[in-house]
Amino acid sequence: MSGAMLDAQNHTKRLFSDKFRKRSVPLLFVLPALILLLAITIFPLLYELRLAFVSWELTVSTKATFVGLQNFKDILFHDARFWSSLKVTLILMIGGVSIELIIGTVLALLLNGLKRSRTFLLSLFLIPVLIAPVVAGFQFRMIYHDQYGPLNYIIGLLTLGHWHGFAWIADPHIALFAIMMTDVWQWTPFLMLIILAGLQAIPVELYEAAEVDGATEAQVFWRITTPMLIPVIIIGVLIRAMDSFKLFDIIYLLTGGGPGDTTETISYYTYLQGFKFFSLGYTAAMAFIQLIIITVIAQLFLRVQQRQPGNE
Amino acid sequence: MKNETNWKKAARVIILIIALLFFLFPVVWMFLTSFKTEAEYFSYPPVFIPHHFGIENYLNALAMPPDGRGGLQGLRDSIIIASGSTFVSVVTGALAAYSIARYKVGGDNFSFWILSTRMFPPVATALPLFLLFKTVKLLDTHLALIIANTIFALPFVIWLLKGFFEELPAELEEAALIDGCTPLGAFTHVALPLVTPGLVATALFAFVFAWNEFMFALLFTRRNVRTLTIIVPSLVGGHEILWGEIAAIGTIAVIPGIILALVLQRYLIRGLTMGAVKG
Repeated sequence: MSGAMLDAQNHTKRLFSDKFRKRSVPLLFVLPALILLLAITIFPLLYELRLAFVSWELTVSTKATFVGLQNFKDILFHDARFWSSLKVTLILMIGGVSIELIIGTVLALLLNGLKRSRTFLLSLFLIPVLIAPVVAGFQFRMIYHDQYGPLNYIIGLLTLGHWHGFAWIADPHIALFAIMMTDVWQWTPFLMLIILAGLQAIPVELYEAAEVDGATEAQVFWRITTPMLIPVIIIGVLIRAMDSFKLFDIIYLLTGGGPGDTTETISYYTYLQGFKFFSLGYTAAMAFIQLIIITVIAQLFLRVQQRQPGNE
Repeated sequence: MKNETNWKKAARVIILIIALLFFLFPVVWMFLTSFKTEAEYFSYPPVFIPHHFGIENYLNALAMPPDGRGGLQGLRDSIIIASGSTFVSVVTGALAAYSIARYKVGGDNFSFWILSTRMFPPVATALPLFLLFKTVKLLDTHLALIIANTIFALPFVIWLLKGFFEELPAELEEAALIDGCTPLGAFTHVALPLVTPGLVATALFAFVFAWNEFMFALLFTRRNVRTLTIIVPSLVGGHEILWGEIAAIGTIAVIPGIILALVLQRYLIRGLTMGAVKG
């Protein structure tokens, strides 16, 4: 066999194996993760979808009976507690995320002016974000304690003993606010971090050009900083909205949904239906309603993220 | 003019210090409480600094509740579960992330589908998983919680690592492939060592998220498995509140998060936004 023929043969061989590689190897690489994800998300969800159409009260019987859309009808038209929990969730989401956004923006602007100490301070600020929400809940349970807690003591000092604060988590008018403040404490640094990243990504040339043109500080803030920050703020707010919608841990630790159902979020109510009242079909239907709401927010998030520079 | 900027600087620093006090106070309060005696934490006016910094509360907490396996068991279980789910998600996730970044497997739709699984409300997946674990007799085992935590760790790991792989120049791996390296070899010998810092950061994030997880631990465990996040509320719910002991367990429980915040400064933005915002 001549050298040229051998070369040609080797070449085809390699091309063939390249083709083979291109198709199968990447798939093989993805396969373990794909199988895991399918097994632990898709199958349970399909199972749950089936559950949503049955009535299955574990406290009454171990049998499930098909009821069609009855669960969804009951939830949407006859369950005041569902709507109340949805309201609580939305108040916490909108109120909490708004406060977090305002404080977070102010802190980010202040931190942005620092030079050497910025990174270290940022790390300290981020500690609340990285500790378990349950532990955060316990910390605030001590802080909110009406008798021995430091918060009411400090309020007493500041008002010279005229006012001794609240029974923060036992007062039905205040408890929701106390929960919101715990969430604000834990998540404001997260929005601060994102906005700070956004601030640092604004090209210096823009500010230099504005200075040359003689723009005032207010003009620079509203005409340059704000519009440049909007995409980053949208991403941060959507991430927070999704997390806040699932709020459960600090409710479990601080109030258990009480007093009454004034702090009962939709996650907490679903948990009660499923794991305290054992209404399995009803819980499944409620879970699906939440999945739909979350999917809408998630779709918004994905659209915005796809438009980010660098992600095409 | 000069005076004005000095004033501004001072105001900036003062506001930041007050804000920092606000954000650190609860953690510091818990840390101080972990050294207080009962007379100190149940007192008015509240005692801020304990008289004596002893480790009695820590020793009691690790031996609690009376069956003698409390805190210590929680520490063990939290470590097993967080390490287990981190290991599974990083090994499978790194391969998948590489494949998605380099070979564009499945395109954008596939990678966004992966991301969307991360957004499921845990309470919505809890019920079917609970029934599944019950059927296969996995309730109250480490494995059940490793599996459950992997649901949320895996999409996170894939997305974060995908970003790191995409930043690597492809030329090095192409050269390795031309030299006769297999795709797996190019991945393990060329790409993986180059993303080591990103890999470590990703693994630490996955570890801390699993460590902090509460709802699955609450629903899928009884007696045999009890993470630290379960022990805290179960002690709070008791008829007497043992603040000193709970604060000791809480302090142990926040250590990984604090280490992460201090060590991974460079990766915090990416880690917390799954790469949606690049720092």
